[in-house]
Amino acid sequence: MMHLPRIYERGLKDSFPQTIKQEGQVAFASLTKTFPITILMYIVLFSMVTCLSTCYCLIDDGENEKHCGPLKQWFESTSVSVEIGKKGFHREVVTTVELSPDVVAEVNVLLIYRWPRGVYLDPYQLAAESDQRDWQILLNSDIDLEVPAHKTSGFVTYVYPTLDGPSPRLLKVTIPIHGRYSEPSFIGKTFTSVNIEPPELLLRTEKCMQLNNLDPHNVMDAPCTADNSSTCSWVKIQCQQEHAPVSFQFPVGDRTLVMPVCGGTLLVTVICCVALSKYMWKHHI
Amino acid sequence: AQLQKHVLYTTSFAIRLALVAYGDYQDRTMAVKYTDIDYHVFTDAARFITEGQSPYNRSTYRYTPLLAWLLTPNIYLSMVFGKILFIVCDVLSGLLIYRILCLRGLGSEVSSCTTARRVSSLWLLNPLPMGVSSRGNAESVMAALVLGTLLCLEGRCLMRASILYGLSVHMKIYPVTYALPIALSLRTFIRFIGSFLNTELFLFASVAGGVFCMLTALFYYMYGWQFLYETYLYHLTRRDIRHNFSPYFYMLYLTADGAWSQWLGLAAFLPQLILLLVASWAFHPDLAFSCFLHTAIFVSFNKVCTSQYFLWYLCLLPVVIPHLSLSLNQGVGLLLLWFAGQVILFFVLHLNTTSDMHRVYKIVIKSAGWKMMHLIPLYALMCSGC
Repeated sequence: MMHLPRIYERGLKDSFPQTIKQEGQVAFASLTKTFPITILMYIVLFSMVTCLSTCYCLIDDGENEKHCGPLKQWFESTSVSVEIGKKGFHREVVTTVELSPDVVAEVNVLLIYRWPRGVYLDPYQLAAESDQRDWQILLNSDIDLEVPAHKTSGFVTYVYPTLDGPSPRLLKVTIPIHGRYSEPSFIGKTFTSVNIEPPELLLRTEKCMQLNNLDPHNVMDAPCTADNSSTCSWVKIQCQQEHAPVSFQFPVGDRTLVMPVCGGTLLVTVICCVALSKYMWKHHI
Repeated sequence: AQLQKHVLYTTSFAIRLALVAYGDYQDRTMAVKYTDIDYHVFTDAARFITEGQSPYNRSTYRYTPLLAWLLTPNIYLSMVFGKILFIVCDVLSGLLIYRILCLRGLGSEVSSCTTARRVSSLWLLNPLPMGVSSRGNAESVMAALVLGTLLCLEGRCLMRASILYGLSVHMKIYPVTYALPIALSLRTFIRFIGSFLNTELFLFASVAGGVFCMLTALFYYMYGWQFLYETYLYHLTRRDIRHNFSPYFYMLYLTADGAWSQWLGLAAFLPQLILLLVASWAFHPDLAFSCFLHTAIFVSFNKVCTSQYFLWYLCLLPVVIPHLSLSLNQGVGLLLLWFAGQVILFFVLHLNTTSDMHRVYKIVIKSAGWKMMHLIPLYALMCSGC
């Protein structure tokens, strides 16, 4: 058994219960003195943090307001119009966009076309001619080039025009489209109409990322670019002047003529077949 | 004579090359393109092959994979390779026409070969095959294969003939109609049924059938059911309601979704079949004329007919011309009638795609053009043939 030196033995024996008690009393005393100061420090710290974050938000909002504010004004003086060029089954849809004079140079433009089922775009033609155009296109689905109109549905395309010049004002996008064959008419109509709605115009700028100040009905998500690698929030511009959809007509067959057409075709064919066979049989067999 | 022959071939090749160069210029500078859309389809399919994929990933590619494989240098070397290949096949077809005509002979060798040279210039200096090949259509490859088969049969080289025949049927189905005239020409002159059982016919049938089956099996292994459907079945069941010169076009368009569609298709097939059988039996002594008639009947009475189909019988026409008993005036008259029909048909096609002219008038004009183009000259040629 180890013997502690006397002095320690005496200290331990005499002061153990008293030390804890005294230490506890000392701690309690110091706590009561320092507690208010601690609380005060936390209050000050919290206030400083709150103040700083508020200031930051205010500064950010200021910047935001500087870049996003004009978006609201762009609503007022932007217009989109559509025209159809060429004739027959192979046409061109020419879209003219007049941007507001306040639009900044670093803006991205997106035109969303909702095509009816009576027309189609040839993705191979678009790919082959891509270097002759200043816009890119993204198709939302595969397009069957040969199916008739009544066996397919409409589709959506995203067109990204390239803006050149320091202050872009006028954009012109010409898209080649082709008509689908429609089913023959049961009521003797000889033409079918196809309506092309003007596209939706969407704008986005890198500098305005906080769109929560704007009406949520006008903000929508769409691919950022034609390669569809990411999605961005775009602002939909409700144009001041709403242009009516354009329409054009394709000829269709007349199903009320089915009996005379079938009868006539088969009769002519049989007559030709009999005449040729008769000659061959008579003279060469 | 040799010099004149060389001048003829060199000139025809040079003109075709110049057209290809002009076509390249027009494609780059003008809105209306010279190159046919089919050439772009072939090139896109060849591009898929170079990326290790199936050529049928290119929609509307409905040909043998062999064609896309042949055109892979379009991707590795230059886009113009395919057109050069087609114009070489075109000039080769002219050479084959010359050799067939020399073989068929019209008297002394010298005069027949002089006539042969003049007649083969009807193909070599003809603007229609020049335009078709320089625009990038692959019909000249078929023409070369069919004429090669005919040359080998005329020269009794049956092994080569059967290989070329098997290859041509693989590339496009229509030469299968020549099977009956070929079988009739190869039989020996004994009893009717027994005459079909001879070594030559058996050899021809087995080699041609073997080549066809081998190619089909190879491409089926590589590309599966899609190869069979797109290359063969689509064409057999095709009811194309677009871009169609056939007189059945409007009838098939109006009845496309109806219950009678299948029966009408069969009703349209029967006249074609009957005429082919009768023509085979009537004209089998002259194999070249028989093949020409077969192709003309097939094209005229088919449910689908596009502009390239005309080349199929046009390449055989120079071979049969020297044996016709038409006078020069009659021949020129028929030619003008055929050209007038062509002009009407192409005019209607232009209207169809570029303007809004009422369809019924277009149909009427189209069928009148079709009738003029095919039936009247066909009838006249039959009267004067053999």
